[in-house]
Amino acid sequence: MLSANAHVVFRRVAARIGVTTILRDVNLTVRAGESVGLFGSNGAGKTTLLRVIATLLRPSAGEAQVLGTDLGSSDRFSIRSRIGLIGHSPALYPELSLAANLEFSARIAGAPLAAANDALETVGLGQARDRLAGEASHGMQRRVEFARELMLQPELLLLDEPHSALDPSAVELVEHIVAGVLDRGGAVVLVSHDVDRVAPMVTRTAELTGGTVR
Amino acid sequence: MSNRFWPQAFAIARRDLDRERRSGEVAWVTIPFGAVALLLVPLAVGINQDVLSRIGTGMLFVVVMLFGVLTAVRQTNIETPAQRDAIALLGVDPVAEFAGRSMATALLLLAFQVVMGAVTVALYGLDLAGWEWMVVVMPLTAIGLAELGTLSGSIAASTNAGPALVPLLVTPLAIPLLLGSTQTVESITRDGVNLSWLVLMAIVVLVLAIVGVVTARPLQETR
Amino acid sequence: MTDATRRSRSWLDIVAVAAVVGALVFAMTSPRVESQGDSARMLFIHVPTIWLAYLAFAVTFVASITYLVTKKLKWDLIAGSSAEIGVVFTTVAIIGGAIWGKATWNVYWTWDARLTLTAIMLFVYIGYLALRRSIPDPEARARRSSVLGILGLVQLIPVHFSVTWWRTLHQSNTFRPRDIQMDGPILAALLMSVGAFTLVYASLLRHRVHLAELELVALEAAAATEGPVAGDAVTAPTIDSAGAGE
Repeated sequence: MLSANAHVVFRRVAARIGVTTILRDVNLTVRAGESVGLFGSNGAGKTTLLRVIATLLRPSAGEAQVLGTDLGSSDRFSIRSRIGLIGHSPALYPELSLAANLEFSARIAGAPLAAANDALETVGLGQARDRLAGEASHGMQRRVEFARELMLQPELLLLDEPHSALDPSAVELVEHIVAGVLDRGGAVVLVSHDVDRVAPMVTRTAELTGGTVR
Repeated sequence: MSNRFWPQAFAIARRDLDRERRSGEVAWVTIPFGAVALLLVPLAVGINQDVLSRIGTGMLFVVVMLFGVLTAVRQTNIETPAQRDAIALLGVDPVAEFAGRSMATALLLLAFQVVMGAVTVALYGLDLAGWEWMVVVMPLTAIGLAELGTLSGSIAASTNAGPALVPLLVTPLAIPLLLGSTQTVESITRDGVNLSWLVLMAIVVLVLAIVGVVTARPLQETR
Repeated sequence: MTDATRRSRSWLDIVAVAAVVGALVFAMTSPRVESQGDSARMLFIHVPTIWLAYLAFAVTFVASITYLVTKKLKWDLIAGSSAEIGVVFTTVAIIGGAIWGKATWNVYWTWDARLTLTAIMLFVYIGYLALRRSIPDPEARARRSSVLGILGLVQLIPVHFSVTWWRTLHQSNTFRPRDIQMDGPILAALLMSVGAFTLVYASLLRHRVHLAELELVALEAAAATEGPVAGDAVTAPTIDSAGAGE
């Protein structure tokens, strides 16, 4: 029986992409109110681990529970809207404006469009709202994704290299968002290879190496 | 079906149409490409007016099938893995996604057919007898082809073959739509309205809708 | 695998081969069809191959549905293996039919409804196999291809109707391959041949499924607890500063 009051409980979880094994014997528990930093070198499986936690990649072995739901079952789709993920390549539609991208997320998730506007202001893109995502810088696109998570208020926030392409003011923004999730009783997992920059945001760290968490 | 079904479906359709409006791929690539194909045929088979007016309707729908597939493929083609992940985590209902994408593609295909129809009439000197039925034929073709394209697109999405596979999956299965659309128009000029072709097309549209709805969740499981 | 299953598999092979040899002997010694000569003996190959094609695709359909209901990978392996055999036999049937057509009516191809449908069916399942090839992950492959396995067959029904209607509307001088008088010995030889080919199908399917299972086992073994993970292939960069200026 896996613990029920933790947001993430992994026991000996393995994952593969196609026929390649990426993760093996991963044990990880993330409790509510906790922010865990995972470090590892290139190819250690950081991104894959986040995708497994996000229900986007099904574990090939082991027991995995996220937000009280078994990831092996098809119930895992019901928790997707409670999870936020900011991956390292931007997920915006290049043909749409920054505001239109955010409004699309709002429509799908059922959030009011005003919330999208407010979030855009908060991340400092109020002036750039009509700029096409394809013509916005990488940093601006990341800010839109942070705005999306501000708007949707996930219970579990997953961040993949949150500092890439961000200026110092935006780094403060990340800290603000992480604090917000923790204040609401949520949990955060962030992966990075930059221990120093992530340290102020995390309550605990772990290292991912050889496909497993140490 | 959740109560967020229609808002989500419309949001998806709107996104696809907005993306098309900005990129103009159908308007500026697929339509000219299709028109060039219609121009090539007389060059290849000769400009005998009798021949051209006889094959015109058939050529129109062959072009609609082959080039219309490109419109359906485009969805699979332009979606990045990151975008797929993001939309999954927004909690989109996979059935709403199927419906929304089919709606947007059907509208684009309808526009494509109208323009191709006009080009065919002009280039092939078609007799327009029976063409009032195009009001029914073209939407049925558009919806059926859109459903087939969306389904095949989500079957082939994020596989190694990806978008290249979609036309191969769609084309043979689109044959009832091709025959239905050409034969409806032909049967009218020959011996009056023959509704059975339209009924067949309507059944195809319905069957594909059911398959799309039923398989949306199993397909989601693969992500 | 138990010895019993291995033994029953080799028994099936022997019976299938024996049945084919028997059917061939029967076919070659059956009375000559005067109107068509010896080329009519193509019948004993053509009819069974086309029967097998339909049988194989029907098995793919049923196995696809069963997979989606039970989620047991074995059913997907059956679906995929059967489709492979079906594609081979459809190709043989079309090429054989074309040769027979050339010998009998002096044309390789005619726009007969059945012929057109067979060709369409071939392309549908070539697409199905192409899809399978493009997905390395067994489970994702199973899901996606079973959806296609179902869509393909369901949509073949309206395809069938549309092509048949289209031919009835454009009835010209259709060739009737069935105008051979089927009297006793010929019919018996044909039935034998159909039976023998069906045994061949069963034997091929068993072997192909077994092979697919072995592939799966090998895959599982490769991903099991020992052995490296993907990240192990990455080592620290080796920068030789002395050699940098070369």
